[in-house]
Amino acid sequence: MAYWKHASIALLLGCVCLSLLENLAGQNRDVDVAVVVHPDTPVSNLGLTEVRKVFLGDRQYWSTNIPVVLLIRAPVARERNVVLKIIYQMSESQFKQYWIAKIFRAESASAPKVVYSNDMANDLVTAIPGAIAFIDARDVRAGAKVLRVDGRLPGEAGYPLR
Amino acid sequence: MSSRLLSLLVFSLATSGLLAQSTPQTQEPEPSVQSLLERIQRLEKRIGELEDHQRGQAAVSAGSSGSAAVDNTKAPQTNAVLEQPASHENAPSTTAVREAERHYPSLQIRGFGDVDFSATDKKGSVSGFNLGQFVLHFASPLSEKVSYFGELSFTAQPAAYEVQVERSIIRYDYNDYFKISFGKYHTPISYWNTAFHHGAWLQTTVSRPEMVRFGGTFIPIHFVGLQAEGNIPSGGLGLGYNVGLGNGRSSILSKAGDSGDANDNRAWVASVFARPARLYGLQFGGAVYRDKLTPQPGRNFEELITSAHLVWTKEHPEFLSEFANVHHRDVLTSNTYNSQAFYIQLAYRLPWQENKWKPYYRFEYIHKPESDPVFLDVSDLVGSTVGVRYDITNYAAFKGEYRNSRIGKDEPRVNGGFFQTAFTF
Repeated sequence: MAYWKHASIALLLGCVCLSLLENLAGQNRDVDVAVVVHPDTPVSNLGLTEVRKVFLGDRQYWSTNIPVVLLIRAPVARERNVVLKIIYQMSESQFKQYWIAKIFRAESASAPKVVYSNDMANDLVTAIPGAIAFIDARDVRAGAKVLRVDGRLPGEAGYPLR
Repeated sequence: MSSRLLSLLVFSLATSGLLAQSTPQTQEPEPSVQSLLERIQRLEKRIGELEDHQRGQAAVSAGSSGSAAVDNTKAPQTNAVLEQPASHENAPSTTAVREAERHYPSLQIRGFGDVDFSATDKKGSVSGFNLGQFVLHFASPLSEKVSYFGELSFTAQPAAYEVQVERSIIRYDYNDYFKISFGKYHTPISYWNTAFHHGAWLQTTVSRPEMVRFGGTFIPIHFVGLQAEGNIPSGGLGLGYNVGLGNGRSSILSKAGDSGDANDNRAWVASVFARPARLYGLQFGGAVYRDKLTPQPGRNFEELITSAHLVWTKEHPEFLSEFANVHHRDVLTSNTYNSQAFYIQLAYRLPWQENKWKPYYRFEYIHKPESDPVFLDVSDLVGSTVGVRYDITNYAAFKGEYRNSRIGKDEPRVNGGFFQTAFTF
């Protein structure tokens, strides 16, 4: 009898904990990640494949005089996970290897710049011509230039980055 | 007893249900680890700004005393921060922006190394360790559009280390469609040659395929001259090109003409490749290389190399394949010779144990006419390699492989075990 009592209590506590964890995790799930660029960038809509091309370093110029400056969140951030999963389709270690190889092939002079918060991403994308960053749609500052991806803005149905 | 359990169950479910419902309604979410990290980062940034503020004040006071030269371009920014300390939330942080700005030149150095062990049943062979290649590469943007790249290798020889400049390239980017560079390259006649260079850690296997072996002569590994490269407007097809003009091979066929051409004839190379956007990971392409060889004074040969590659660079699976035909024509006798080589490599990154294991297999083949007077050092080859790579960390790997190959016609097959730890730092 005592065994069943302890087992039931353990099961109940497990249910409560799972429910709490799910609840906490749900706060960040399914929030769109906006693609934000410097206000002078001559682009307002990119296909997902074009965004990939930019972030893979295969497209390095917006126009002849505006080089692309890639900004990416540091590891653990949700925006980085979304970028790795949807854009790069790579694990963290594959991503690191990709950029070491890219520079080693002399195809790019430097890897993406690392930003440590959405505040910092907002700051830099506003200040550096040609900059592009992924920012949680809730944290995008008013007036920022948010790109349409495949013709859709964050929050619209079918937006691919979440 | 059962009623106590029942009441506990009801209480628990009610509590979790209430919590689940209440969270979206309350506008203040529970502080997650992520949000706490972000708060710490914001505070660190704020401390940085305050420190910057102090430094700015020191610079202003030093400037007013006329004792130091003040950077005119940055002083106004500093003053702007001093004047608007309260509005920093929506103004770009000068500290962060300054740190993120690119400074010229901005030298980055990375190294590659490997330690190897080999043992074969070939007659007269000696098993043992060797140090592989120690490679340093230097990348430095010199301005927004000009960058330099260099690669040095140190290879152990019985008496000393042989130091080689493997690549030295200065490049000017006009835009994505036209980039021109000058220097010493790995010839874009082969996919492997331009994908993995001297970084053993970058390649899946212990060694390169024989057709692109360093010190080999089947294809020219290096090229000294100029090269134009870029994307070709092609929508989702993702076309790119390389066109080069240079010295071609020296009188020692495995070397490039670093110190000057072996004859008064330039080599040229052109390649086109596609990376279709809808098939991310796929690349295919072809290349043509033409040169005039002078292996000995008075002996001239025309060389025409055509090659093609088809690769899938993702690791589930990884597929690499290349083919090359080398055509030689004796200028004196008009005799022609055709040699072929190819390899097919298949690997798969296993999904368990944090994707650390990657087994692989490679088949390679080389055929050359016995009578080709240029390829005296090239032998026929049929070989298989089977092995596994284990990534110890993001920057180091162990590799172990077994090779079975026949080098030369009617020669016995050779079996060998090869082990390597390769890393970047």
